Amino acid sequence: MTEGPALPQDPVEPPMDAVPAAGPSDGYQVRLEIFEGPLDLLLFLIRKKKIDIHDIPIAAITRHYLEYLGKKEQINLDREAEFLFVAALLIYIKSQMLLPRETDLAEQDDPRRVLVNRLLEYQKIKAACSLLREKEEDQLLQWKRHFLPPLPGESDLDVVELSLFELAESFFVLMKRRAADSTRIIRGRDVTIEVKMKELVGLLRERRMIDFLEYFTAHESLEEALVSFFCVLELVKTRVAVAVQDELFQTIRVWLRKDPPRQVAHE
Amino acid sequence: MNSRLKETIEALIFVSQDPLSLERMQVLLEGVPGEDIRAAVDELAGDYSAGDRGIHIVRGGGGYLFATKPAFDRDVRRLLQIERKNKLTSASLETLAAIAYHQPVTQSEISAIRGVDSTYTLKTLLEKKLIKIVGRKKAPGNPLVYRTSEQFLLYLGLNSLDELPSEEEMSRILQEEKPADA
Repeated sequence: MTEGPALPQDPVEPPMDAVPAAGPSDGYQVRLEIFEGPLDLLLFLIRKKKIDIHDIPIAAITRHYLEYLGKKEQINLDREAEFLFVAALLIYIKSQMLLPRETDLAEQDDPRRVLVNRLLEYQKIKAACSLLREKEEDQLLQWKRHFLPPLPGESDLDVVELSLFELAESFFVLMKRRAADSTRIIRGRDVTIEVKMKELVGLLRERRMIDFLEYFTAHESLEEALVSFFCVLELVKTRVAVAVQDELFQTIRVWLRKDPPRQVAHE
Repeated sequence: MNSRLKETIEALIFVSQDPLSLERMQVLLEGVPGEDIRAAVDELAGDYSAGDRGIHIVRGGGGYLFATKPAFDRDVRRLLQIERKNKLTSASLETLAAIAYHQPVTQSEISAIRGVDSTYTLKTLLEKKLIKIVGRKKAPGNPLVYRTSEQFLLYLGLNSLDELPSEEEMSRILQEEKPADA
């Protein structure tokens, strides 16, 4: 067995809980979130303790690892189950190494082997990440026409009837744009679906067609916009109205169907 | 025709929405030898990078395309009203790298490589069209199989998967990291 005593600490190194997880104010709190996952934490410990990745002292690394996990007062199972899983794996490996054997283990039978291979592979991915990140940053500085709205296609009359889902997506884009616009005081005003529905159908009758984006931009409050959006969805769903988008990124036009089905009783 | 080859290519690259490959140019400019096209493209790219220009010709996604020069990033963003660019999160980038090097690959394989459940990150990458589903694996549960997309290459300015960082480059990074972190 290769386990040595705990490796000597580097004297200049700050105590473990301060590196690099905790800020100065949050004392002993350890933020596991800064690690992408258990393998990331393990690699960090290995590097920090100057451990040879091919000859990991399992007992020592497990201790450090558990110390890290223990700093957390509450374990969030959703996020940290993976950390606990690797802790269990470490303990399992240690137990395998403690088992008495008649013959010395061949290198490929080392219980640590599986973990080491995973760590090495993960380490490679991490290295690739930092190289890819450079490429990403480099590319993000150079704007291409590719990211602009596409040019009109061959036929301008390539009308697409929209699904409710696409309609909803447009709506969210719009709301996001509006949210970014400015902060303003929200005045309370009750809008009911019934009232809005009447208004909308009236408007559709009168104008024959409304411009989806324009219509919503004209609405003052979020609530009002939301309610009218529900109305449009309802109208499309009950097939009273049709929503059409000519081209990607263009507005959506809504109009009444010529012969709306009778069973709709929203008016 | 030949005297205006460079200008023709410039026009083609300008209008093209996707990276314009040499092969495609050769089809479009029938009769013009490949090496002439190549030379003209190189000359054109040279003109742009040397001159006082705001744009240049870059290679990416297997072809050539116009891009603004990095120096004008801030101005372009002001025009497009983009304050901050969305870089990939480190989880996304890590997942993407795992897929790039192990493709074709399933969700559980990616999660195993990362030691972290990657379902959500995969969804984000799919939405960004950086990866694509290429089928199902003939294994229990018939899990979906993922690959990186063309968009991925273009996003990172690569022309093919061969241009992904090599083993040597990665080990160089690892060598550099050690003394710095220890």
